[in-house]
Amino acid sequence: MIARPPAGTPRTYRFPDFVRHQLPSGLGVWLVPLAERELVSVHLVTDAGAATEDEAQAGIAALTAQLLVTGTERLDAATFAETTERLGISVGSESTWDSARAGFTALGSKLDDGLALLAEMILTPRLDAGEFERLKGERLNDILQARADPGRLAEESFLREVYAPDVPYGRLAAGVPESVRALDVASARAFHDAHYAPGVAHLVIAGAIDPDVALAAAERHLADWSGAGTGHRTFEPRQRGGRRVVLVNRPGSVQSELRVGHVGIDRHHPAYVPALVMAALLGGVFGSRLNRRLREELGYTYGARCTFDPRRAAGPFTASAAVQTEVTVDAIRELLGQLERIRSEPPDEAELAAVRDFLVGVFPLRFETTPGIAAAIEPLAVYGLPDDYWQTYRSRLEAVTVDDVLAAARDLVRPDDALILVTGDASRVRDELAAADLGPLEVVPAA
Amino acid sequence: MPQLPIERHRLDNGLRVILSRDPRAPLVAVNLWYDVGSRHEKPGKTGFAHLFEHMMFQGSANVEKGEHFSLVQAAGGSLNASTWLDRTNYFETLPGHELELAIWLEADRMASLLPAMTQEKLDNQREVVKNERRSSVDNQPYGDWDERIQALVYPDGHPYHHSTIGSMEDLEAASLDDVRDFFATWYAPNNAVLTIAGDFETDAALAMAHRHFGPIRANPSLPPPPDMTVDAIIGRGVRDTSADRVPLTRIYLAHRIPPFGTDAFDALDVGADILGSGRASRLYAGLVREQRLAQDASVFVFPIVGGASMLALWVTARPGVTAETLEAATLAEIDRLATNGPTDSDLERVRNLHAAHAAGSLERISERADRLSMYACLFDEPERINSEVARYAAVDAARVAAALRASAREDNRVTLTYVPAEAAS
Repeated sequence: MIARPPAGTPRTYRFPDFVRHQLPSGLGVWLVPLAERELVSVHLVTDAGAATEDEAQAGIAALTAQLLVTGTERLDAATFAETTERLGISVGSESTWDSARAGFTALGSKLDDGLALLAEMILTPRLDAGEFERLKGERLNDILQARADPGRLAEESFLREVYAPDVPYGRLAAGVPESVRALDVASARAFHDAHYAPGVAHLVIAGAIDPDVALAAAERHLADWSGAGTGHRTFEPRQRGGRRVVLVNRPGSVQSELRVGHVGIDRHHPAYVPALVMAALLGGVFGSRLNRRLREELGYTYGARCTFDPRRAAGPFTASAAVQTEVTVDAIRELLGQLERIRSEPPDEAELAAVRDFLVGVFPLRFETTPGIAAAIEPLAVYGLPDDYWQTYRSRLEAVTVDDVLAAARDLVRPDDALILVTGDASRVRDELAAADLGPLEVVPAA
Repeated sequence: MPQLPIERHRLDNGLRVILSRDPRAPLVAVNLWYDVGSRHEKPGKTGFAHLFEHMMFQGSANVEKGEHFSLVQAAGGSLNASTWLDRTNYFETLPGHELELAIWLEADRMASLLPAMTQEKLDNQREVVKNERRSSVDNQPYGDWDERIQALVYPDGHPYHHSTIGSMEDLEAASLDDVRDFFATWYAPNNAVLTIAGDFETDAALAMAHRHFGPIRANPSLPPPPDMTVDAIIGRGVRDTSADRVPLTRIYLAHRIPPFGTDAFDALDVGADILGSGRASRLYAGLVREQRLAQDASVFVFPIVGGASMLALWVTARPGVTAETLEAATLAEIDRLATNGPTDSDLERVRNLHAAHAAGSLERISERADRLSMYACLFDEPERINSEVARYAAVDAARVAAALRASAREDNRVTLTYVPAEAAS
């Protein structure tokens, strides 16, 4: 057999150049022309995510985003759906904590038609009471469905238990049944009035465009849009207590869904880049320490991983795995052991290089598609990152050293403070968890 | 639609090599389809094709356990594999200058998997796969729907009667001898398609394929394909009800239909989109938005080629809506489409959505490579990738109606209902 072949000569790759404008209304317009493409992606990103809503109305941002696609003053829900889809355009509209995004990807020839309909939807949405009640019902049902799914139940439970009770991040961005039930179409109309405004919005158009034509189309279709927008709240995410174990009882489960972690970092954290590298090494690639140990050595799980979820404020850091019920306690010890080890045992150069080379090398692949490039502009707009952010991204990754990884781990991974959340069959794991000396145990029913 | 360039080659050992060059981005996709899936499994060995796929990442003569992943990832690539009814595929996308790494890795395990095989590795991956089954089936609401549907649509003994993930008992029984036999039987160059798409130089890529795959011996005694013969329709309505730990009632309907690649299949593909794709689809508009009986609806056909495929759908009931009410409303929409056929607006809508969606999917060279491998493996015609949109657009109203009338009928329907456990008692 022939030995491993050497690599060829790499071709250079640059993140596509873009131009940025600001319309008199305050709307940011980002144009990313891409040569030899068929498609255009339009993303309208607005500071209308869950961080802008009152806690008493938790879920209104998500519902309002969804409600937008149910028609305009001119076109009812059925007609709007038919009109867009007959053009080959599926309009999407959804929100996260930090922003709401409405948009579509279509053949380049449909840019003007699509932008006209998107603008109509944002400026003069129908916000129909009947459609609102339907979507609200669907949302409540979805929360019920999510709680029957072990992974989604673990996710919701982890957030609730890891954040202090008054921190908004302690719930899903979509809200909780108690808050969603209280919402009505008037709250959606008020939310739309307050938060869908060009002063807090950015329009990204990427793909098969002539930038001058695209800019003119944006100006023409969005000329009547005005308003400064209210913007988002700020808050300080605090953790609820230190090391403890919460068992969410899901009778009949044949696996335990494990979530081990604590409050993590925000998007502007100075160690953001080393943290990315450290998290990839610990639980972000196939050969990461967590996956290698729990899957490839022990066979406890189909996959083990960890992630930060950086937002405007500190999102969670979570190590996770779904393990067969019989090994629940052992698997927790193994997870914790890897969280300890990353703090005490620095990677050797080869281990670090493999992960760093992955993150650097996979860069062009991340931006292969037109909607992928449009999405890459969003964090620049939402978090105010510098225009050359992607141009300098790889050199910032390459600069990360073994010492940086160790420092990030010691600062940002805190197993002694970790919440250990288990979603599983209490009748089979409660006693063992109580005897395991992992921290005080609390057993709660599935929400 | 733009046409992809396609070059076909065949090595002396029978390996089909498909090349589709596109140097726009400095990326290349390598994709291998082996013409073996769960339909080739023997009785008592369900799930083995998939377990075997896991073993392909456990090392080979020149590659350590786990190193296939780490080498490709360190090169800036992404990779995976999957097993389904008809086939097993393995794929890498990586910077163009690392093409030979992927070819070498794939060739090394096709040539020399067995020297690296151990009982310990098999036992480890057996546990991983059992946990995969727990995660995706046994611990998941509605998780066994496809397993149950397949068992009801295809008769006992038919190769599609059992699911790809297989049973815990059969996984438990898998042995190293099974690994050796399966490898020797199916993992041969004359039972595979290698596709390379993206940024490469044609001569260099072909030379790499010859260099690394060329020395691998063909299997001169490939077994004949399994007998997939099955009646065109089921012949009677079949019903099954299951109480599960779910909050909402859900109904799955499935019909036996002509296989992927036939004109009738294309017509049902269009029909499925008219019924279930988009907010202007019949089921979304009728059941979700207007009548408010359903929480969601999804309709799809299975691109499988043996004997018969399936047209399947699910609808989830809103609280308080009975399975009977929801089923009646769903069948009314299907019957209305079968009886009256689609409107011009329906056809314009799904054709334009399909064209945009196809263009979006094919922006990824990994998707292009996978489809080229698929068409080469299943039909010996990779060029079909360039007629996908035209075939879809050629389906007219009469064909949709006729295909639905032939397949979406009561004596050809499996109805599987999940009801919340507390309501079932």
